[in-house]
Amino acid sequence: MDTKGQWKRSAKAAHTDQTVSQTGRQPGLSFELSESLAGIQSELGNSPDLIIRQIQLGGPLRIQAAAVHLSGLADTSAVNQFVIGSLLGNMEGLFMDSEEGGIDEGRLPAMILNRALEIGEAEIKEEWKEMMLAVLSGDTVILLDGYATSILCATRGGEWRSVGEPSSQLVVRGPKDGFVESVATNISLIRRRIKSPKLHLEYMKIGSETQTLVALMYVKDIAGEDLISEVRERLGKIAMNEVLESGYIEELIQDKTFTPFPTIYNTERPDVAAGNLLEGRVVIIVDGTPFVLILPAVFTQFFQSAEDYSQRFDIAILMRVVRYMSFIVLILGPSVYISLTTYHYEMIPTTLLINLLAQRENVPFPALVEALLMEGAFEILREAGVRMPRVIGQTVSVVGALILGSAVVEAGIITPIMVIVVALTGIASFAIPAYNMSIAGRLIRFAFLLLAGMFGFYGVILGLIVMVAHMNSLRSFGVPYLSPFVPLSVKGQKDTILRLPLWLMTPRKSPQQMRAELPEFMRLTTGNEELLAPLIGKAGRPPETAEGDQPDEQ
Amino acid sequence: MGTVKVGLIQFFSITLLFELGTALVVNLGMAAGRDAWLSILIGSAGGIGVFAGYAYLYRKYPELPFTAYTRKVLGKYIGTPVALIYVILYINLAARDLRDGSTMLAMATMHNTPLFILSMLMILSSAYVLHKGFEVLTRTSLVFLLLVLLIGLFSTLMLMFSGSINLNRLLPMLEDGVEPVIRSVLHQNYMFPFGEMIAFTMLMPFLSNVKKGPWVIAGAMLVSALMLSFTMALNISVLGDDIVERSPLPLMPTISKISISDFIQRVDIFVVMVLIIGVFFKISVFFAAALIGISDLFGIPYRKMLYPCTLIILFTSMLDARSFTEHLDEGGRLLYTVYPFLMIAIPAVLILVSVLKSYFSAPRPG
Repeated sequence: MDTKGQWKRSAKAAHTDQTVSQTGRQPGLSFELSESLAGIQSELGNSPDLIIRQIQLGGPLRIQAAAVHLSGLADTSAVNQFVIGSLLGNMEGLFMDSEEGGIDEGRLPAMILNRALEIGEAEIKEEWKEMMLAVLSGDTVILLDGYATSILCATRGGEWRSVGEPSSQLVVRGPKDGFVESVATNISLIRRRIKSPKLHLEYMKIGSETQTLVALMYVKDIAGEDLISEVRERLGKIAMNEVLESGYIEELIQDKTFTPFPTIYNTERPDVAAGNLLEGRVVIIVDGTPFVLILPAVFTQFFQSAEDYSQRFDIAILMRVVRYMSFIVLILGPSVYISLTTYHYEMIPTTLLINLLAQRENVPFPALVEALLMEGAFEILREAGVRMPRVIGQTVSVVGALILGSAVVEAGIITPIMVIVVALTGIASFAIPAYNMSIAGRLIRFAFLLLAGMFGFYGVILGLIVMVAHMNSLRSFGVPYLSPFVPLSVKGQKDTILRLPLWLMTPRKSPQQMRAELPEFMRLTTGNEELLAPLIGKAGRPPETAEGDQPDEQ
Repeated sequence: MGTVKVGLIQFFSITLLFELGTALVVNLGMAAGRDAWLSILIGSAGGIGVFAGYAYLYRKYPELPFTAYTRKVLGKYIGTPVALIYVILYINLAARDLRDGSTMLAMATMHNTPLFILSMLMILSSAYVLHKGFEVLTRTSLVFLLLVLLIGLFSTLMLMFSGSINLNRLLPMLEDGVEPVIRSVLHQNYMFPFGEMIAFTMLMPFLSNVKKGPWVIAGAMLVSALMLSFTMALNISVLGDDIVERSPLPLMPTISKISISDFIQRVDIFVVMVLIIGVFFKISVFFAAALIGISDLFGIPYRKMLYPCTLIILFTSMLDARSFTEHLDEGGRLLYTVYPFLMIAIPAVLILVSVLKSYFSAPRPG
């Protein structure tokens, strides 16, 4: 849908790129060390956190060298010990060796790289831009007098938040680690869960100013080849100055912008990311944010929680049904109340109706205004609750809500039933595991409110038809948003509202088989397996075939 | 037609909802008295027979809508006006259903809302959905078919539990012989709602499977006939044929008989929901047929004519008659004067001509 706009954006960006390289410094380094250093300093505006350490290399040549890094970004101990330390310490040996093999001055940087540097990741680069990017990312650059090359040493470090419990998507049972702001840490969290060589990783840099590292992860052979290339293409088309959060990427690569419904899933949980990778989805990790994107995402995915797979399947089904119901309550609760009391009061049981009318007797507003007032107040309370300093905390918001609720009823502005309805929708909105889906529901709720106030159930049902049609028109990277319901697929129902037992989800195994495939000595017995099925006796296979074939669902 | 293809399940659901449409709530076939359910079944047999003709034409030209193969079979000079007539027919049918639907709604619940506003909301929603495309419409129908079926199941169970069903009201069968049933079939039931399948001649090119497609649609027609007949039998067995005959929307009083320990009562809002959903999909199918016809005939992109067409349908529905009585009277007359001509005679001519053409143009051996 939006490709045209993206094309335009990228064309514009390519243009600015060109102008920058024309006006900026020419690529390529100077042979003079002092000139190169001055160049770096002037390009960074004589920034005080730029640390330049000048060294004279030992050995017969007495070459002037410099190690450049940005303090705070680089790991200082690594710079001291492995970069400067090896430059100062290992030189004698280097030149002794090279005297034996014949001195070749042209190969000096390569020799330093190959024989002196005690650091795991280092390479030689001759491009000015690449060198500058390395300095800005926290690497240390070694420059040698008389050589127009630079040695980049990976010394990225500095302070990061340590891995902790995620602040959103909490579970009662399940792993408690969450993603952090560093791409490398996040990748390691996923890799620890999927120890498979098929787990592929691609890096790209997005954002002409921020040069944000974006990692693309997928499991080869499970994720579709066209999906991966489509993601790659859409990421490649992004041409923005800044990428500070995965939300920036999400907005630019989603299929359709004009919709309240999220079409890309985001999570803070590595186990969710790993599970989705194994289901053939693509994960995008953006440097600087713990929120990782997962795509393609369909409607049902936003109602799943990582915990569904750690609880028993029947319990999980109950929890999922509750979530879907709370979504329906969220979008339709107040509007059904309004249409009942305004247009279709004959549907309410008589005793309740008398009660209701008695309450409404002393309230000056029509039900629609009442609902709008109350829902508006609730949204304000919630927004204030999020932004409030932690110290004041939850108590104030709850007490505020309670006091406001009861005072408003006593003052005769709102009926008590309306307070109940609004509170119910508010709580229902918290029952949805994905925050962006619950915001979508809150927004849609207001549309239904207006429709119900003007047209009663007629408006609500037409609104529902339009909403479902809208959801049907959505696609997430080519996958219909409402699948597997529409288009209907019976196979796909295994993990939507239902969550079948794990052994039913994998096509070929029953629990007996899963147990039986383990080698004999690892098998847990219940003591009455002979009674269960003849499968166990048959499936006693040699351990080689069973190896690595254990159920690896979540 | 374009590359958009619609799956068989979706086609099944849209056909079913289209057939149930308004027919589910009105007193269908009541000219046959308490044998109305029988006349619906016989009528559906006729309707499926007519549809077999449409299916034959579709198999012959699986890529073309009705307006296109009309011109192909009858030639440019006769075919184009005929195709144009069909576009007008679809617009007219959509407008008539819009009027039907909004009037019924006004009768059922929205007593004080102006008819024009009700119609406008309905046709605007329909326009929005069609703006998203015909495929989206069919997919949406799947969700709402589920809703309608659930409501049907729930209502039937509730009626059974509240003990309102008295099957003796259906007896005696064929009290006055077969003659009233046949008359009802000939007057109404082979045409309404089954003759309206003419709209699907425009939509069948979207079918994803040429071979199975017509069978699926015919199956949906059969299922809908069974459901309609069942509903009518239910109405009569709950209310008795006398009340059903005099009530414009007999399903409403039927459902309002549901009462379980004073808690579940007056659930007639369900009927209103079914009515809204049915009317919506019926209008949308005719609307889609008209749009496809226009874009095929004049070569105008589908979306460009969407909003002008919305206006035309809205105003036709409002200006069509001065009162609902006049509207119904008009409909009754159209049903056995104009519609048979358009829905049976012209397709029959098309079949005949195309058979003759292929017979004469086929290479003869020897």
